[in-house]
Amino acid sequence: MQPTQRRIIYSIILLLGFAWILASMDKSGSSTAGKIPAPQQGFLAPDFELSTTAGDTIKLSDLRGQAVLVNLWATWCPPCRAEMPAIEKIYNEYKDQGFTVLAVDMTYQDDPAAVLPFVEEYGLTFPILLDKTGEMGKAYQLKSLPSSYFIDREGIITEVVIGGPMAEALLRTRIESILK
Amino acid sequence: MPMITLFRSLFAPPRHLIVLLAALWLGLSLAEKRAERHGISKEALNNIVYYSILGYILGGRVLFALSNFSAFSESPLSLFSVNIDLFDTTGALVTGLLVGFVYGQRQKLSPWPTLDALTPLFAVLAIGLSLSHLAAGTAFGAPTNVPWGMELWNATRHPTQVYEFIASLLIFGLIWLRKNNVPAGTDFLVFAAATAGARLFLEAFRGDSTLTFGGVRTAQLIAWVILALALFASESIRRDEKPA
Repeated sequence: MQPTQRRIIYSIILLLGFAWILASMDKSGSSTAGKIPAPQQGFLAPDFELSTTAGDTIKLSDLRGQAVLVNLWATWCPPCRAEMPAIEKIYNEYKDQGFTVLAVDMTYQDDPAAVLPFVEEYGLTFPILLDKTGEMGKAYQLKSLPSSYFIDREGIITEVVIGGPMAEALLRTRIESILK
Repeated sequence: MPMITLFRSLFAPPRHLIVLLAALWLGLSLAEKRAERHGISKEALNNIVYYSILGYILGGRVLFALSNFSAFSESPLSLFSVNIDLFDTTGALVTGLLVGFVYGQRQKLSPWPTLDALTPLFAVLAIGLSLSHLAAGTAFGAPTNVPWGMELWNATRHPTQVYEFIASLLIFGLIWLRKNNVPAGTDFLVFAAATAGARLFLEAFRGDSTLTFGGVRTAQLIAWVILALALFASESIRRDEKPA
């Protein structure tokens, strides 16, 4: 192929590419994210209503306006145990700034009798919720424990951390980001 | 789509990283096979990859810590945490490339043949990345009614990760089956142009695009610039190759 022919082809490719960019512009603001509830970064956090170890009921959507860390855990899970002290420490540091933790025990695959001793052992002061039926775990498409969801004041998931234990610096950077 | 479902359940996060590691190993093995064809020794190829990976890992963590200095000063041990989320991906990429470049300069490796030798690795990594996206459900598509739509994140969506996989597989085939008698740099530039072209086209079906200028997809703009640079460079190496 002659250089001139090649340059013409390259120019056509670039012009078509540019036309495609304009044709595929998303004027709606794109991302379906933020509206549809799904357990993924950028989406609205799926709502749930669960009872706590104290006998109260907490609904996630009632906490709109607060930054929330939803942490899915179980007493038998070593990384869940390992990250609890850091979560407790961070909760106490940031709770006055509009941050809360919802630690949801996957009770349907845990020993319910082990939950309270666990809470006492680690001196946890944030709400401990019980997923007795597995519905919340299903809504969050739980694949492994622990799983953590950082949710901003509008109820949008800003980060999903699968596995653990989460380092204190990770908790601190993500919470400072969702509190902004 | 039962195979996709099975794949996604097998390699759900954080196991999706296994796919990337497997791609790295396979890509490096294939690149080794072709390295000498480009005048690069296997040893030099392995070294440049290992040093770049080291730069990527250390750079990603250190730059993240520096940009979040106050958080790390409260808990310095977090610097050694196994959390992969404590990572600055852009910084890691820049550091990895910089380390690779410095190593190449010190070893007096010619840039185009070195990039050609590394191209099979890049092409296999692109395949691994698409599979990793599929497993994690990231890089997801916009909602659609097409019959081949995939159920993901509570909607039927374009299977953009599958499109990405097919495109990267075709690009790998194009690179692997190319003729030998081409100017140095051709393999890499074909890979760069084809990958940028594929991204430019496929980004239109994504549901998670970052937008700029009233709806233009940022990734498409970047891909267009890379495509233009690759085409320009390919013209330039052909011109330089011609006898005076």
